[in-house]
Amino acid sequence: MQRERHHSVIKSVLFSLASGFLGSCASSVDIETDFPLPLIEPLPVRVGIIYDELFVRYEYFEEIPRQATWTIFLGDANQDLLDGLAQSMFLEAYPVESFPLTSTDFSRLDGVLQPELEKFEFDVPVGGNDEFVEVWMQYRLKLFDTDGDLVTDWPVSGYGKAELGNKEVALNRATVVAMREVGAAVSTRFGELPQVEYWIQERRDKNALPPEITVTN
Amino acid sequence: MLYRQKSQSQISIMMKLKLCLCLVIINGISACGVTARMEPYKQTDSVIADGERVVILARKHHATHEAEVEFVDCISNALANGSEGLDVYSTTDFEDQLYPWFEPSLAPLSTNDLTVLLERPGVLDTVENTGVRFVVWLDGSTDRTASGGGISCAAGVGGAACMGLAWWEDDARYDATIWDLQELNSTGTIYADFLGRSVMPAIVIPIPLIARPQAQACQGLTEQLRDFLTSPFGYGAGPNLG
Repeated sequence: MQRERHHSVIKSVLFSLASGFLGSCASSVDIETDFPLPLIEPLPVRVGIIYDELFVRYEYFEEIPRQATWTIFLGDANQDLLDGLAQSMFLEAYPVESFPLTSTDFSRLDGVLQPELEKFEFDVPVGGNDEFVEVWMQYRLKLFDTDGDLVTDWPVSGYGKAELGNKEVALNRATVVAMREVGAAVSTRFGELPQVEYWIQERRDKNALPPEITVTN
Repeated sequence: MLYRQKSQSQISIMMKLKLCLCLVIINGISACGVTARMEPYKQTDSVIADGERVVILARKHHATHEAEVEFVDCISNALANGSEGLDVYSTTDFEDQLYPWFEPSLAPLSTNDLTVLLERPGVLDTVENTGVRFVVWLDGSTDRTASGGGISCAAGVGGAACMGLAWWEDDARYDATIWDLQELNSTGTIYADFLGRSVMPAIVIPIPLIARPQAQACQGLTEQLRDFLTSPFGYGAGPNLG
């Protein structure tokens, strides 16, 4: 009886130690930052933005054998980044549900933007001479006209690195640097894409037409 | 007689051990230190005036290295502190207010790029609102360039002890390039190279004699920058590095 009790105590202690050890190898990072608004001139269009569930609740999970498991929550940061970009890049921007648009959205918008986070990769060094945590991510921006026809489907990527100190803090910082790079590329290059330039010119021409003239094919 | 000889022999061995220990410590101390080299070059007579500010930014476009955040903070804080402290603008605030134009992929690499950037809508007004006249670009890093030796430790019932000698060299090499946002030119550069050699002799216990070249580079570069920004063309021989 006494021996069984001792075995039970030893098992509990070993289980606690094992749980503690395994728990210490699991890292969870919720990407947090305030993205600044880009200092740019807005494009002369009004857009709606479709935020799908995958984008605003994006979680990245990776198990690195014999090292650690990482869970990275990017959803809130994704939405903050796109909200700030849309606010500065366009005359007006509103979230919309999906296609087909409501009659109100159809009349007040020129197009609809749908962002996706396509790829997320990271590297946290565990030894050797590597001094930086590195993050690479690729977004995809789809621009539709109000009928739902695709105007452009643009992949845009960003890279960030941060000095290795506390691994979670460094990963957060590297991810924010990569997202800021994506924001920099989107805010300065999206309006210069040939399809987008053509679409904006088309919208401008259409809006310039007097109301009594109807365009027929 | 025999006892006396033995006793003298033991004393002699103890003396020799003490002598060896002293030599090792003296060698260790003399091997530990920082060698500094600074090359300032100022090509205009621009100086910072009252109400004008300076901002310290890190060059981040290299794949292999970038000036450490703590080094940028060290220079910013040291430049702002003291009786002759300058008005230093926050690096983060500057990058945020001018986002995205000072992100790694878009930051101007030359004063020609800067001129083009300032012509963009809203950029010049924002820069003027910050009050920043001088931008100091820090490029470089502190790296371990060499290491060697070894220390062995053993522990037993009676205690623990270490024996050996380890050493390493850290090289803090930085360039500070100063741009004048008013004149739209490069005011000059300061090159700083601080090579620090640290040693750790271990005789029973390890004795770390650590050189801190990055901290010394921060101090040296700060003093040079202060002179650079407050003295006109040909501003003197530089700081006393001790």
